Amino acid sequence: MNRKKKEMNITAKQQAAGWAFLTPATLLLVIMSFYPIIQAFIMALKTGSSANMQWCEPITYNFTRMFSDKLFMRSVVNTFLYLLIEVPIMLVLAILLAQLLNNKDLKFKGFFRTCVFLPCATSLVSYALIFKSLFATEGLINSILVKVGILSENFNFLGTTYTAKAIIIIALIWRWTGYNMVFFLAGLQNIEYSVYEAAKIDGASGWKTFWHITVPLLKPTIVMTMIMSINGTLQLFDESVNLTKGGPANSTITMSHYIYNSSFGEGTTNFGYAAAMSFFIFILVAVLAFINMKVGDTRD
Amino acid sequence: MKKKLLSALLATAMTAALLAGCGSSESATAEGGEAQTEGASEGASSEGAASEAGENKLTVYAWDANFNIPALQAAADDYKANVDSEFELEIIEQSQSSDIENAITLAGSAGDYSTLPDIVLFQDHWFHKYQKDYPDAFVPVDDAEVDWNDFGAEKLSYSVVDGTPYGFPVDNGTVIFAYRVDLLEECGYTIDDMTGISWADFIKIGEEVYNKTGKYLLCMDGDGNDLIYMMLQAEGESQFKDGKPYITENGTLVEIIGVIEEMLDKNVLYLTNDWSGYTNQAILGDMVAGVMNGNWIIPTISQVEENSGKWEITSLPTLNGGEGYASNGGSSLYITANCKNVDLAKKFLSYTFGGSAATYDAALTNGGVITCCVSAGQSDVYNQGVAYFNDQPIYAKIVEMGANVPIVEQSDYHYTCRTQIAAAVINIHNGADTMTALQEAEDQLNFEMGN
Repeated sequence: MNRKKKEMNITAKQQAAGWAFLTPATLLLVIMSFYPIIQAFIMALKTGSSANMQWCEPITYNFTRMFSDKLFMRSVVNTFLYLLIEVPIMLVLAILLAQLLNNKDLKFKGFFRTCVFLPCATSLVSYALIFKSLFATEGLINSILVKVGILSENFNFLGTTYTAKAIIIIALIWRWTGYNMVFFLAGLQNIEYSVYEAAKIDGASGWKTFWHITVPLLKPTIVMTMIMSINGTLQLFDESVNLTKGGPANSTITMSHYIYNSSFGEGTTNFGYAAAMSFFIFILVAVLAFINMKVGDTRD
Repeated sequence: MKKKLLSALLATAMTAALLAGCGSSESATAEGGEAQTEGASEGASSEGAASEAGENKLTVYAWDANFNIPALQAAADDYKANVDSEFELEIIEQSQSSDIENAITLAGSAGDYSTLPDIVLFQDHWFHKYQKDYPDAFVPVDDAEVDWNDFGAEKLSYSVVDGTPYGFPVDNGTVIFAYRVDLLEECGYTIDDMTGISWADFIKIGEEVYNKTGKYLLCMDGDGNDLIYMMLQAEGESQFKDGKPYITENGTLVEIIGVIEEMLDKNVLYLTNDWSGYTNQAILGDMVAGVMNGNWIIPTISQVEENSGKWEITSLPTLNGGEGYASNGGSSLYITANCKNVDLAKKFLSYTFGGSAATYDAALTNGGVITCCVSAGQSDVYNQGVAYFNDQPIYAKIVEMGANVPIVEQSDYHYTCRTQIAAAVINIHNGADTMTALQEAEDQLNFEMGN
């Protein structure tokens, strides 16, 4: 009896320790994340100046309003365009680079890995500004293209709708490929070399090995990087603001950029509407992540 | 194997943590503006932005170290020398005007104005909206000892809400049209030929100038396109009528859009992607033979030293010929709710910006700030020729033009309207139908105004 009580004590102690470790993080999460989320939701039901917000009439006004807002819908379309083009290209590039840099016989591996990862260490604003000056009408890219003879006169890359979108996508790929590559490199370390050896003995080609061994075994990493990239792209802000300011004529604006404009950027201080649009992104991210996880689920 | 499994688990746990970390950092950047203003106001509160009661010191938020800040410094020196030797003005420089707007938004949203300084410099076009949104943020100054009639009526209208004055005008936004007279001469024209002409004639001359010299006779920031507003004001019209957007029904506006598109097609007008393109690429890059904007653009023009003496200024062209006058930009000083020495602030502002020649002369010499105070504009400094502008007495000319600017209907949605019409101009240039694009702009504007 006595012994049993002592055992319970140990369990209780362990549980207490567990709670003690969890509490600080949980508290912080509740105060810093959950409370603002609830406040933001309440704000999304209100309208008017932030000093004197009134309940909307009807209460869902801000939520129904965004669907008839052509500019917001354009920002949704733009964001999905970036998502659909950029994420696949970036992830494929990242896997291929990881595969290349995982080669056991490669020299200066550390150097190459650092090079590919380095863009990720630059600040979002500064890299956007550098891209902006590179692609400016009087910028380096224009000078080179004109000197080489591909262009006859300087082209306004950031002032033309299609090229401006393309440049945002190029910038995103440059910035984030190395970041995703690191995850794939980590994933590759976890694949047993013996599996590859067995494949070699069975006479599998390099491409077959990659497609039938590497990719399936990397699936958890692929799913994770996909979720992260989708999440990150849906919240894209810095590139739109710093590279193009959403222009020309709002043709490259992203959802987060429009939300920012609605709350601060254009002085409209429409916080209620901005909060409602943030919830729209929140739901989108949640739904896409859910689909992704279901699709990537290995437990059949 | 077990170890491998463990390390795999660890790796997944770490990447999951990274995922969470990445997610939160991304949302932080999405709300970067908010964080930034929070930071700014926190910084201010730790500095103790406003002065203590009973002190001889005032604090002020202002931007532009080449323009507004020398003007404030001039006022402080003037007050110290002539009224109160104990007086002290602490100028807290902000990197841009929107920092101050955000500081007001934040203080107003929190219902706590204690983060604000005593006085803020505020953009004219924004003031009415902010006064309406945050009615407690600013102190009315109707009892200040100032001859309000001495100010240009158009300028004053920005800081007066329902008949109550709130602010002290600092600069003068009168629009100038500056031309490179040497290039005009090459094409056989003088500045007088450009004065009082119609836009149609302007386009003819502009084409000639571009073909002969390769320079554009007009340029503007395509993103924040002020041309439409200025050209409309010169006709005595507004983009708003009775508080509603007045765009597609506004024949004058449609005609002006047509003129702008023609200028774009004929290489008379150059539109840059953004503001820095306008100043750095077009003006400083010496791509233009003419600049039309508020006179605060003069310090930018003057930075190209090799063109000294080659510029002169005049009024705007109009649709049917005749001199056009307009005003664009500019700011005024406002006392905030957090000021504990309201009487001192009022006295200081009325004495200096209320019409002190010493303040305005020094503001002009040190910062190129031109007054809209009619009596202060008659001093000798104003009547001197300016070497950069071919010894033309441009300041007296600007004050004189400022008195002719017609008052047109203003709106809290001035900048929203500007953004929408600027987008329409670009879309039309890219092939969209004029009326469709303008209708789209009007719809979006109505939508944002909640009409």
